[in-house]
Amino acid sequence: MSGPTVELHALRKSFHGTTALRGIDLRLRPGIVGLLGPNGAGKTTLLRILATVLGPDAGSVRILGRDPGTSADRTEIRRRLGYLPQELGYPRGFTAYAFVDYLAVLKEWDDAPTRRTEVRRVLASVGLGDLAGKRIRALSGGQRRRLALAQSLLGPPELLVLDEPTTGLDPEQRVSLREVLAEIGRTATVVISTHQTDDVAALCENVVVLDEGEVLYDGGVRELVASAAGRVWLAETRDATAAASWRTATGRYRNLGEAAPAGAQLVEPTLEDAYLLLRGASAPDEEAAA
Amino acid sequence: MSGTESPRGWHADEESLRAWADGRAGPALGASVEQHLLRCVDCRAAVGTHVATPTLDHTWDRVLEQIEVPRVGLLERTLLRLGVGPRDSLLVAAAPSARLSWLTGVAAVLLFAAVSAAVAEDGGVALFLMVAPIVPVGAVATAYGRTADPSYEVVLAAPYSTLRLVLLRTAAVLVPSVPLAVLVGLLLPGPSLLSVAWLLPAAALVATVLTVSAWVDPVLAGTAAVAAWVVAVAVATQTGDPLSVIDAAALVSYTAALVVGCVVLLGRLKRTPSGWPLG
Repeated sequence: MSGPTVELHALRKSFHGTTALRGIDLRLRPGIVGLLGPNGAGKTTLLRILATVLGPDAGSVRILGRDPGTSADRTEIRRRLGYLPQELGYPRGFTAYAFVDYLAVLKEWDDAPTRRTEVRRVLASVGLGDLAGKRIRALSGGQRRRLALAQSLLGPPELLVLDEPTTGLDPEQRVSLREVLAEIGRTATVVISTHQTDDVAALCENVVVLDEGEVLYDGGVRELVASAAGRVWLAETRDATAAASWRTATGRYRNLGEAAPAGAQLVEPTLEDAYLLLRGASAPDEEAAA
Repeated sequence: MSGTESPRGWHADEESLRAWADGRAGPALGASVEQHLLRCVDCRAAVGTHVATPTLDHTWDRVLEQIEVPRVGLLERTLLRLGVGPRDSLLVAAAPSARLSWLTGVAAVLLFAAVSAAVAEDGGVALFLMVAPIVPVGAVATAYGRTADPSYEVVLAAPYSTLRLVLLRTAAVLVPSVPLAVLVGLLLPGPSLLSVAWLLPAAALVATVLTVSAWVDPVLAGTAAVAAWVVAVAVATQTGDPLSVIDAAALVSYTAALVVGCVVLLGRLKRTPSGWPLG
């Protein structure tokens, strides 16, 4: 097995008195890792540090064997990095092709013919090959999100940091994106922050769950799902003692908890069940609103 | 050209198609095959099998290039003509400050200063002094940064030196706008020194904004610099001598600020090839 591409130790970051990360320890290896957590858990802050656009207040960071705290190492990391921020704007008047071409120049693709081939490759890989010459303002929300993703695939990168890549995509586009990422994940380290547990279940071997700036879980997706076995019930009534409970389309209630409600049927857990149980266990005061 | 007859008419034979595709067909056969291909779908499909794949790929690449690669804009074309490299021209053209609307705004500000000066004489000198340095400071402030550049986050995560990017974009706005401002200054009443004397405080302000932008957003730094300059000119005007902001003592202090700013910038350029520190 190859060594870790990302090593974080005792990582801390605060913004104007609010602590976003409280001592994160993580080691990531090639493959796809999902980053789950509620809003405000510190996911975006963590990803921005991995993308070298933000420095930590304390702790150590090593990315691709280098220290992003030194400028020479940071530049080298950026040469091998792909980054999709949560929100991305576009220069006015640009076409899809021109935008990716512009970023390819910033990523040191200096030879024009090679750059053209690479720009076409990444646009085609996200299904925008036919829309390359279209102005960005004329693209739909999903197409713009795919364009943002396309620029992150230039290289291809050895470390790909994606902040909510599936936002705004329809189901077909999400499936096609999974194929692209699965291919990259065979050799690169791909970190995906998302609220979609089914994306993580479909794509990732490992998952990191963050909550209030701390790592709640760091391990295999299958192991996390297995941890919920025997704690997911379908019943005719809502279980008031459950960590989470909601009405399903069949009219029955899905209850997550230790105790079986009366007449309940034990069912196979999903990653979402396991995630909710994990969070419910760590935050008993919170009504598991989901 | 020999051929075969089919229910849909005559078709070119394989050898003629191969000779045409390889470029071996003479003028007569070549013209004949070409004419036939223009109106025969079957032969157009058949000739494809005689063209080498690399040739087809190359042709398709050329077609895509014509369709996809955007037409080079006016600014980029001008920069290319002036000898700026294609890579740098593209980076300048992508700057928020390169937008035509922004450049129009620059021209409008200077025109306003010129018209006011012509009408108000002494008051116009103060107005010109107040407005002229805003142009270069504005160029720096809108060249880069979270507020000015919608793609800031991914630009920052790219290996290209951000400091070089800012300097490149700043230069691109200064080159056309500074001569314009100097020209306006020459048209004003007052000492001829006025037309160029503002360049020194402007350069000092630009250097300060570039240096401070390592820690704060360039738009904020630029706004603060402009505000400080406007207040200084206003105070000087209130005391009855707007030209005191460019007297000998003031020029010395601008020079000192410029030198300090340049030293800090050069130091950063040497030490941090990737530009801004983490922050």
